[in-house]
Amino acid sequence: MHTDPIYNRRLFFKKVLAGSGLLAAGMYTACKPRNPLGHIKGSIIGANSQVGHLVRNMASLPAPSRQVTTDVLIIGSGISGLSAKRWLHNHGMNNVMLVEMDDHFGGNAHHGKNEVSAYPWGAHYIPVPDIRNTELLDFLKEINVITAFDASGLPVYNEYYLCMDPEERLFINGLWQEGIVPEAGVPADEKEQFKRFSALVDHYKSAIGTDGKDAFVIPLDNSSADEEFRKLDTISFRQYLLEQGYNSKYLIWYLEYGCKDDYGCNLDNTSAWAGFHYFASRKGKGSNCTSSGVITWPEGNGFLMENLKKLAGDNIISLQLAYDIQESENGVIIKVYDVARKESYTINARKVLIASPQYVNKHLLSAIAAPDRLKAFNDFHYAPWMIANITLKHMPQQRGFPLCWDNVIYGTPSVGYVDANHQDLKNSMKRVLTFYLPLVNDDPDAARRKAHVTPYEHWLEIIAGEMEHAHPGITECIEHADIWVWGHGMIAPRPGFIWGQSRKTVKEPINKKIFFAHTDLSGISIFEEAFYQGIRAAKEISNQSV
Amino acid sequence: MEKLSSRSENKTGIVSHILLLLSVFVIATCGLIYELIAGTLASYLLGDSITQFSTIIGTYLFAMGIGSWFSKYLDGNLLKWFIRIEILVGLVGGCSAPVLFAIFEHVESFRLILYAFVGMTGVLVGLEIPLLMRILKNNFEFKDLVSNIFTFDYIGGLLASLIFPLVLVPYMGLIRTSLFFGLMNIVVALLLLYKFKETRGYRRHFLVIIIISILVFIVGFAYAERIMAYSESMTFQDKVIYSKSTVYQRIVITKNNRELRLFLNGNLQFSSADEYRYHEALIHPAMQALPHARNAMVLGGGDGLAVRELLKYPQLQSIKLIDLDPGMTSLFTHNQMLAQLNNHSLSSPRVKVINTDAYNWVRNDTTRYDCIIIDFPDPGNYSVGKLYTNSFYKEIYRLLSDDGVVVVQSTSPYIGRRSFWCIDHTIASVGFLTMPYHTYVPSFGEWGYVMATKNHSWRNDGELPEGLRYINAATIRDMMFFPPDMCEVTTDINRLNNQVLVHYFETDWGPYAH
Repeated sequence: MHTDPIYNRRLFFKKVLAGSGLLAAGMYTACKPRNPLGHIKGSIIGANSQVGHLVRNMASLPAPSRQVTTDVLIIGSGISGLSAKRWLHNHGMNNVMLVEMDDHFGGNAHHGKNEVSAYPWGAHYIPVPDIRNTELLDFLKEINVITAFDASGLPVYNEYYLCMDPEERLFINGLWQEGIVPEAGVPADEKEQFKRFSALVDHYKSAIGTDGKDAFVIPLDNSSADEEFRKLDTISFRQYLLEQGYNSKYLIWYLEYGCKDDYGCNLDNTSAWAGFHYFASRKGKGSNCTSSGVITWPEGNGFLMENLKKLAGDNIISLQLAYDIQESENGVIIKVYDVARKESYTINARKVLIASPQYVNKHLLSAIAAPDRLKAFNDFHYAPWMIANITLKHMPQQRGFPLCWDNVIYGTPSVGYVDANHQDLKNSMKRVLTFYLPLVNDDPDAARRKAHVTPYEHWLEIIAGEMEHAHPGITECIEHADIWVWGHGMIAPRPGFIWGQSRKTVKEPINKKIFFAHTDLSGISIFEEAFYQGIRAAKEISNQSV
Repeated sequence: MEKLSSRSENKTGIVSHILLLLSVFVIATCGLIYELIAGTLASYLLGDSITQFSTIIGTYLFAMGIGSWFSKYLDGNLLKWFIRIEILVGLVGGCSAPVLFAIFEHVESFRLILYAFVGMTGVLVGLEIPLLMRILKNNFEFKDLVSNIFTFDYIGGLLASLIFPLVLVPYMGLIRTSLFFGLMNIVVALLLLYKFKETRGYRRHFLVIIIISILVFIVGFAYAERIMAYSESMTFQDKVIYSKSTVYQRIVITKNNRELRLFLNGNLQFSSADEYRYHEALIHPAMQALPHARNAMVLGGGDGLAVRELLKYPQLQSIKLIDLDPGMTSLFTHNQMLAQLNNHSLSSPRVKVINTDAYNWVRNDTTRYDCIIIDFPDPGNYSVGKLYTNSFYKEIYRLLSDDGVVVVQSTSPYIGRRSFWCIDHTIASVGFLTMPYHTYVPSFGEWGYVMATKNHSWRNDGELPEGLRYINAATIRDMMFFPPDMCEVTTDINRLNNQVLVHYFETDWGPYAH
């Protein structure tokens, strides 16, 4: 058979080229440093900011093609929206519709599940409530979180939901210690400052203002207006501590940890009032727990949210983006974009409850809001968060106090991690840890923009870096890590915000037709406040309806 | 065919004879050593040393007979055959102990494999001497040949029987001894190969095999510690005959002449010498009062010993055993020595073994039981501590029939006094009537139990099964008395959200930890 020599030569060169290419690639693979995080599977999930951002550009949305009518429309399925829906449902108002722009419900109470455990994507516990918060107690009784009331009237909590022992530990000075208040290696004079601060908190816990109200209470709107306490809202927590001579680095760390944990803020961006509220409002009581007890579930507040939703009746629909609100003669006309069907429709409602945060309302109401409201929106700042759910083959061997529910690492940017399996009675080697990182920054917008462009691998490096510090060798045990970025995780109780005018202004209904409920109207982002805001707004609507 | 006789007159010939006789000596020593190893291993792992030694020796000698008989069928190059067999003996005999140790936990019919090894070694060793006699028959007069060979054979035997118990087992351990003598056989093969020129034709081929075998033995020798879990035999008093890490725990079994001990994560669970005291006391005070009991549940207790006692009551139609670790229950079901200990209780048709987490099981179970036996490890950590909480006992209350009885192993009321009474108080806190009692178990010390009922129906006048060694009505009565150094102290209730028991337990046992 005849073969073309040129062709053969070409083939030969091609082969040589291909061979050297392969060889080079092989050498590169062999020589390049192995990615120590390469074995971890997962991705950035959620953070569905695109749908939300459509509000800013409503001209791009299709024109409404049909109409729906309802008595009340609730926008937003966070705790305040669901809580309002439940209240209305319980009070005979059944023609109520709730629309949610996301593909899931519950706002910050969102949760997930894998083959190892259920886990939270946000809020994950409530402290044992104040027994005067009867609306909350009623709800907890209804969903069997409270199983009974004892002879003295104290609630008996379901012991599967009370946080099991051991509850908290702190990695400090190279060792895991029991409890989060730093003990190991803290000098005596600094411990003195802890004592002084703790005595002050005890004082505030029982303090009553001149108006006969508690100094600090949940819901915070019931707190005393006494100037002695209110003046704490005008300065930052850091300034307050400085003025009062608190300078222990361990105490400062501990208090800033508290602010980060509850508000996603540092000491400078938290008012002293909010700083104290965290500690001094926890005066819950139970028959079978202490006042520092907390109630939690593997899926976090997802448990409360799912139960709230079950009790809130039907007509709760996801992937519906309300993008325009106009008043009509006898009600409100809301334009809604159906994200899944890619079509728009109008809802004619007699009343609307806007249970979305003010950074969304700013756009939603841009056409109809009064100037003072538009101005007030600018005082609402939100702390961004990154939350990771990390699945481990097993926890590495370690010294010191064993794995707890809440595990904090001293001096790191995160506020530690929660063991999602903690409330699970099953004895499992595999674990899901929920890692919480508040993206603390004086300029939350900058932090938010940065967070949205941070790649998965970079988040992993941050997580693994912190975890390795307290658990040498843990990176190898990580099988999977999913990440959620909350651009607007929590309302920031900056100095002057909680008792300032803006909060009042935006809470006011518009023409007895448009009402508001959201935890940012309380100025702090906790379940109880959202629950309270929902009921407050529902009552306003119901009063108007009579 | 080459003949050795052609060289019998020169010096190398004499050296060769000495070499061959020396190999008789080595072969004899090795042969007896393999036999001793098999016997020792069988009595370690299967118990009853007289039976084991007797049957092993019998099988071995018989196999040697078969080997000798077969030797007449070997023709052709006898020296080549001899070297070949030498290598084979080295490999089979040398690997016997490590292989048998390694497979003990994995195979059900361990005995079969043990005897297969003994048989194989026997056949090969049986081939050696007749073959050697045939090789040497032209070099010696018959009477000299027989006398020389058997002299060396018996001297080798004496040497083996002396060094085995005095030097080898104490200093080298079974696995290394086995590997060492395997190596000796191979070395003999190597020497013969080297010394006899007529092996030239097939030298290379054998050399490769020999070198590989030597390497395998050396590696085995270096890793013998792993195989034997030698580090563990140092932390345990007695010889570790079994060790295995399951997903949940490390199971170690040790043995001496008197008893067998089971350790889970280093904590003694029972000693075969006195476990009857512990298990009779766990079961019979409750069961003698339940003539109409139909079903029972055992939580924990994967060793099947509590179930063994329960099976003495014919009225029980079904017994569920809930144990987390399938490694544990399967070991005590299929391993002959251990199943003998629990009288094959886990294979009884009345018994159902369920491997699952106890807490989740009781939370989801809806059956009503007449007798519930709770035999968990001591509450030394938070995950076990959950199984001693009031929430757990509430679930147990729900699962117990109205006239049923629960018994909870409750650590030592002497050392863990607060822990013991905390368990008692926690059980009582959910509505049970409790009857704490204790007994003396020599390998544990004073040990405590809490019996609990829903009403006052419990009596100490029921019928006890035949053949109990410890429990009778008087013992039951006596066990209820607590002397002042163990009597009741006030404690908190152990709850999921305080886990006080784990804290009590740590403080109680702290001084005894090392």
